[in-house]
Amino acid sequence: MAEDVKPTRKNLLRVKDKIKLSERGHNTLEQKRDGLIMEFMGILENAKGVREELSQAYTEAQRTMDIARAMEGDIAVRGAAEALKEHPEIDVESKNIMGVVVPQINSSKVRKTIDQRGYGLLGTTARIDESADSYERLLDSTILAAEVETGMRKLLTEIEITKRRVNALEFKVLPELYQIQKFIEQKLEEQEREEIFRLKKIKGKKGRESSGEA
Amino acid sequence: MSSSETGNYEYVSARVKTRRAYLYGDEEYRKFIRMGPGEISRYMEETTYAQEMNEFGARYKGADLIEYALNHNLASQFEDLLRWSEGELYEHISRYLKKFDAWNAKTILRGIYAKEDGERIRDDLIPAGEFKISFLEQLIGVGNVEEFVGLLEGTMFGEELANAFREYEETGLLVSLENAIDRSYYQQLLKKIEVVEDPSLVLYTKFLRAEIDFKNVMNALRIAHSGSEISIVDYYIQGGKQFTSSKLSSSMKNLDETIGMIRESAYGEQLAGAIEKLENTESLISFEHELESVLLEYCDRLSHLYPLSICPVIAFVLSKEKEIENVRAIARGKEAGLSPEEIEKQLVIL
Repeated sequence: MAEDVKPTRKNLLRVKDKIKLSERGHNTLEQKRDGLIMEFMGILENAKGVREELSQAYTEAQRTMDIARAMEGDIAVRGAAEALKEHPEIDVESKNIMGVVVPQINSSKVRKTIDQRGYGLLGTTARIDESADSYERLLDSTILAAEVETGMRKLLTEIEITKRRVNALEFKVLPELYQIQKFIEQKLEEQEREEIFRLKKIKGKKGRESSGEA
Repeated sequence: MSSSETGNYEYVSARVKTRRAYLYGDEEYRKFIRMGPGEISRYMEETTYAQEMNEFGARYKGADLIEYALNHNLASQFEDLLRWSEGELYEHISRYLKKFDAWNAKTILRGIYAKEDGERIRDDLIPAGEFKISFLEQLIGVGNVEEFVGLLEGTMFGEELANAFREYEETGLLVSLENAIDRSYYQQLLKKIEVVEDPSLVLYTKFLRAEIDFKNVMNALRIAHSGSEISIVDYYIQGGKQFTSSKLSSSMKNLDETIGMIRESAYGEQLAGAIEKLENTESLISFEHELESVLLEYCDRLSHLYPLSICPVIAFVLSKEKEIENVRAIARGKEAGLSPEEIEKQLVIL
């Protein structure tokens, strides 16, 4: 590849500029990669808890639902569920972490009081309340997990991309540019030496001619 | 006054005593917990549920079969109670059993509201009340809540439902209608036995008032537990003695105050176990269980104190209901994969 470049001073300057830019880019990307990794590790700590919380919330919701269905019957549970009029609302916004756009999920009307659930108080029992409670907690955990895990996935993708760019600069682009620079410099030096040699030759020839004439 | 006017207490008490002897006990429940739904069905086939098991065995299986058999057995046993009884005894029993009319009305109402298939609604009905099957079928067949309310006009639920329907039209929520059904039931329950001299009826009234008191205190706790701002006054059932609506609404802002109020009431001693559970756990289910156990025990004690009264019949009704709930909980719990310990916690055994 280096041989494809014309060994001119102009090209040497251009390559040197490219090297300077690549080195600066390499440093910046390295910093970005390290920053992203640090952010990722911070989120990872949260994510571990969130995943565990989600799994616990799911088990608990399932358990309370099974108990409610076993003790109250299917239709009572379904009827209580159908009574809900105001459904939870989810609003997705985005935030920027070192250039990576991650979602920020805000929810409302997830946790409800007994009167907001729409079913009668006198005809139901605490089992239905607890089942509704656990499912509301599960929904909360799911929303949090969705936010954290999507953020993590996006950060991870960005880390991968940045890592590939850093590696490409470090192991491919920069070495090649150094090689081109070296090639051009060698060629230019060679040309310079040839030029000096040629000038010396001419000078010698001219000296011999003038001494012959004399 | 002839026995047909006052009621044939001796005859019904004797029959009820025999029926009580056939109820499942602690030992059977422990066996059921170790069995699967199929084995439970097989066991039930050899007990008082034989007829229902044979009737539904070809159509259903597993926990569904058990639930059908339980519900139909309950209905047929309560039908027997009404068939045996005469006079005021019949009145008392039928009035108490109207709780199943309330249950069926709420089940159908929820089914209609949720646009459930008629067959599924039918599955959950317990035809143990006063409503005939044909009337229940008519209710299932209505197209909307308005028609449902219209059809119940003239029944004990009619007036309250008509009032609650206006609220339903505004909010679109079933709460008002469901509460109206339950409130009507409790109102009619105490209506005719407010002033009595018979000591057994005095105690029976006391039991009914305790049931209403427990229901009110439980509802107050449920509202407080959910963090709602609503007032218990809207959900208060008249008829209780110990907890007035104002007492409940002032104490429910703070759990300690509510506990203190229960402790200081006439039920304080009986509910000591329940209060302890309430203090130690966040869940209200165990407290609800304790309340049910206390009621069951109280009624059982009354049945021994006054063997020739309404008390043994009501004690049987409660025990039979508990048997149904316990067996259903075991079968459904097993089917859902709940652990034996978890299932055991849900049982209320006297």
